[in-house]
Amino acid sequence: MGFFSKFRKKSPWILHYNTGGCNGCDIEILATLAPKYDIERFGALNRGNPKQADILLVTGPVTKNCRDVLRRLYLEMPEPKVVVAMGACGHGGGVFRHLYNVENGVDNIIPVDVWIPGCAPNPRALIDGIVEAINIWEKKSKDKEYMKNHSKDMIKNLGVNDD
Amino acid sequence: MISAIITIFAPIFGGFVYGIERIVRARMQSRMGPPLFQPFYDFFKLMDKRAIMIHSFHALMGIMYFIAEWFALAVLLLGNDLLIAVFFHVIAVLALVIGASSVRSSYSVLGALRELMHMISYEPMMVLMVVSFYLVVGSFDIKDVLHYSGYPILHLPLVFFAFLLTIPMLLQKSPFDIAEAHQEIVGGPEIEYSGPFYEALYTGKWIEYIYVFTFVFLFGGSHYWLGAILVIFSFLFVNLLDNSSARLDFRRMVKFAWAVLIPLAALNVILLALI
Repeated sequence: MGFFSKFRKKSPWILHYNTGGCNGCDIEILATLAPKYDIERFGALNRGNPKQADILLVTGPVTKNCRDVLRRLYLEMPEPKVVVAMGACGHGGGVFRHLYNVENGVDNIIPVDVWIPGCAPNPRALIDGIVEAINIWEKKSKDKEYMKNHSKDMIKNLGVNDD
Repeated sequence: MISAIITIFAPIFGGFVYGIERIVRARMQSRMGPPLFQPFYDFFKLMDKRAIMIHSFHALMGIMYFIAEWFALAVLLLGNDLLIAVFFHVIAVLALVIGASSVRSSYSVLGALRELMHMISYEPMMVLMVVSFYLVVGSFDIKDVLHYSGYPILHLPLVFFAFLLTIPMLLQKSPFDIAEAHQEIVGGPEIEYSGPFYEALYTGKWIEYIYVFTFVFLFGGSHYWLGAILVIFSFLFVNLLDNSSARLDFRRMVKFAWAVLIPLAALNVILLALI
């Protein structure tokens, strides 16, 4: 917790990734960036680049093809970072649960900090979730995220056993 | 004295210019926009990220871009040759290109090649502009340009027009934001930089704003009010163009630069030399 940590809440940069949902959540995310809700007034930008992002905003049930991409996006983001799972599909699969091509939710692949319920969540719910994510983000340190406090299954899923 | 202050605090002034630009851009899209200090908040936040580098040379070239950009601005403002300032700017862009092409990410390499396309589009235009300043003022020295009692803009209307359309290429704005196409190659040369190393590129961009708008200011000669009006006009014009146009292909950009802008500027220079 240094001097610079106070400025975290002023500029959360978001990386948005859709893991095979119906695009309803993505339309709500775009509505949040649009003039009515204008999330840029809080300094939040939608960066398409994991290396410069702080908040990973995941929508959709994780399909088997997306699994490795999602894992790599998570590992490429520099710490401190927060993961936000958005929509019913992220919470255990939603209507896609137990399909043959689905991993049943985001937290089977990467650790999730904030859940935003709803199908699809209102932009106001999304802003509320981002604020919650910023509160968690402010308390995090610069240490490697995946080395601490995760179960053996999670570390195996992330593929960081030998790191 | 003023130019020394601007040179030393160039990142701070450039940050304010970028903050104003983000507000102006948001207002043009009828949004509220971020606060004025937003670039500095981003700066401090990036300081706090864990430093991950691809390899040390890549990170060095990112920092080199920042230093060379600042040095080019210092050469420009502290009373030296305009032509030399243009060539030092080339060194800054080359550092960016070398760094971006030293990693294996294909977006980064593609961005580096497109950055070179940018360079062959705007660099002849910059040199022509400096030559036209020489023909009007009779010196390459920035002090003589700033003490010129006439109105350089009246002698160089076509050069000013061509430079106005070159600014989007220098500052990576639509329709010529080809190297840094955020929806297409996700930032181009800057894609692999993260945390404190991305900061160097982010701040280098702010200095580039001061560098470019100093050239616009020179069109006012010793009439500083005229220079200020030209700077504000070109700032608003570039932002309006950025908000209202889509990205072009890099071939269209090079064709536009070599078939329209450079002939226009050359025509102005030829007429100036004849009269």
